[in-house]
Amino acid sequence: MKLSASLHSVAAAAAIWCLGTTTASAWTLEEAAKPYAGTTVDVVFLLRPGYEAAEAMLPEFENATGIKVNIIKHPYENALGEQVRDFVAGGDLDIALIDLVWIGNFAENDWIEPISKFTSNPDLADPELDIDDFFPLVLNAFGGWNDEVYGLPFDNYSGLLFYNECMLKDAGFDGPPETWSDLKDKYGPALTKDGKYAYALQSKRNETQSADSFARVLWPFGGSFLDENFKSNLMSAESQAGLKFRQDLMQYMPEGIVSYDHAEAVNALAQGDIALLTEWSAFYSTLKSPDTSQIVDCLKIAPEPTGPAGRKPALGGFSMAVAKQADDKEQAAAWLFIQWVTSKANAMEYLERGGVPARQSVYQEPGVAEKYDFVPALVESWQDGVPEFRPRFAEWPEITEIVQEWGTKIMLGEVSTEEGAQELGSRMEAVLEKAGYYDGKKPLAQ
Amino acid sequence: MSAVSVKRSTLIGFLGPSIFALLAIGIVPLLYAVWTSLHYFNLTKLKNVEFIGIENYATVLTDSVFWQAMGRTFTLLGIALPIQIALGLGIALLLHQPGLSFLKTLTRLSLVLPMATTYAVVGLLGQVMFNIKYGVINQLLGFVGIEPVNWIGDPTNAFALIIFWDIWQWTPFVALVLLAGLTTVPAEIEEAAKLETKRWYTVLRYVQLPFLIPGLTAVLILRTADTLKLFDMVFTLTRGGPGASTELISLMIQRVGFRAFDQGLASAQAIILLIITIILSQLYIRLLYKEVG
Repeated sequence: MKLSASLHSVAAAAAIWCLGTTTASAWTLEEAAKPYAGTTVDVVFLLRPGYEAAEAMLPEFENATGIKVNIIKHPYENALGEQVRDFVAGGDLDIALIDLVWIGNFAENDWIEPISKFTSNPDLADPELDIDDFFPLVLNAFGGWNDEVYGLPFDNYSGLLFYNECMLKDAGFDGPPETWSDLKDKYGPALTKDGKYAYALQSKRNETQSADSFARVLWPFGGSFLDENFKSNLMSAESQAGLKFRQDLMQYMPEGIVSYDHAEAVNALAQGDIALLTEWSAFYSTLKSPDTSQIVDCLKIAPEPTGPAGRKPALGGFSMAVAKQADDKEQAAAWLFIQWVTSKANAMEYLERGGVPARQSVYQEPGVAEKYDFVPALVESWQDGVPEFRPRFAEWPEITEIVQEWGTKIMLGEVSTEEGAQELGSRMEAVLEKAGYYDGKKPLAQ
Repeated sequence: MSAVSVKRSTLIGFLGPSIFALLAIGIVPLLYAVWTSLHYFNLTKLKNVEFIGIENYATVLTDSVFWQAMGRTFTLLGIALPIQIALGLGIALLLHQPGLSFLKTLTRLSLVLPMATTYAVVGLLGQVMFNIKYGVINQLLGFVGIEPVNWIGDPTNAFALIIFWDIWQWTPFVALVLLAGLTTVPAEIEEAAKLETKRWYTVLRYVQLPFLIPGLTAVLILRTADTLKLFDMVFTLTRGGPGASTELISLMIQRVGFRAFDQGLASAQAIILLIITIILSQLYIRLLYKEVG
């Protein structure tokens, strides 16, 4: 009896093991998607190169699965509002497109599902998902909140230094500036002449002012938005040094830099009006295409310059997460799409079509670093990034509005860096106090 | 004469749909906005909705940023509206002159064009035309030796730009309304007046102006309300910047309500704006109609 029971147990275990092995080795997207053929998945896309790349790849997914992906396009500035209204109203979106500064908001509002819901389901989880293949910083910052992963990194950026090598050579420089102070003190005066400018810091009063301009000068100088007690750190010597540096650097930037968004800044470099530009990696394809750039042969890329506190480059990008409001079929279909579009297997095609994948493996492929000359700088930048480059908590949408207003006022000289930082800090603290960070209602997580 | 009696069902049949539409798209949302304004109501924190009485109103009324935005809005109104009326009156008087009927018809038709252009498109046109480097305006200025002007990136110039566009777009409206008013002046009175005096101003002041007052009142009310809620053109042109230099009150309400998601505060701002608009409209009607009397 005992032997028989043991044999039965062994046989059952063997059967389960065999079944498990068979399931794992036999997993295909086509099979996994069969129950969901005909399902439509609604997702917001931005008007940026990474989304055009994914859209071009889409027919392959739709043909293989029978799942229809309905893309709703918005400019970045409308994307958050549109999604918030949809989730509040229990709308149609099945996938949330999440900028890294929205992740706290989406997760705390329970609008998105953790990926564990799907990775634990062998029918839906691709055995080749290999979550560890994502750059850890990117996965954590773009898709993670409070030790839980919600989204997989999809449209991935790091700040890089794009430069016009020809202009630098003409001015007697062999390479780009290593430090921010070199950029200001050496490259600035030498390259600002004859209607051309050394550098542009895109500073339009929207998220660009907060992320690309204000935060960019805080971190390399040792500053930050908040201290360890979540009080404003903007009056610290380091933060002030960064903000004053930006004011000094403006003399080497085109007039009206406070009205420059990404399009204007990228265009200025592409037309040869400026020599250096710190910009997201996502704009590589725009600057490298002869259709949109006149400096294709002169374009070179380096990591952002270092400051007294190190490199601390701008970090930004988007993950995609399954929306809680979707029904079971839509959730499954949404997960299959997210998993597919961010997969290791598709990373090369995504890269070739103009996207920037967050998969480490693709950048180790032979020839990739040579063909895409932003790769070494990008990989280096993703080692030095700061996840809380902009705080990712739910209060960021309110705080960024304050940063945008007062950051621009500082640049315009309407207030000094001290006055601006003081005002900004007290308004920021008022938002955090109301949210309950100072009376222990919320953990100090950013 | 006795009043004709109308059946109740007929009354409801005729008035009902419009009352229902007014309730659905006007009154109910307004009441909801009042309710929202009395609550802490942030779209991203709906778990924390709570009644806070007039706290949102107190915040708005003591917020310097709100009053600065209000100040900019009234500055725009104070500069643009008189210019629109002066230019509009001038155009109306010219078109009211006898002769050249074909050219006048052509002018009247072309006056409709700016008004027919979508607000947002006007802003986008401005972005392209007034671009510091590639804009056609700076190119034209360059032909006469003027250095490129930083139209959109300079706070003062950006504000001047939105005033310019508002005048460009709405002067024709004022002109057409006043022209309609001039056509109501009885021809024999006008001719008699012109025989009495050669001074056009005297004719305008004592003969034509009384007939222009109703149109002028409508212009003042409509243009004031329009300016107080001016949004699209400024949003697409400057997005309220640089800094806060073109952040009018409507842009501020949109920013608070739809970018910071604080619907309660935004509703309080909108209600205060509504009250100011109603007070101004009443003032216009009382002051101007008193003058007619």
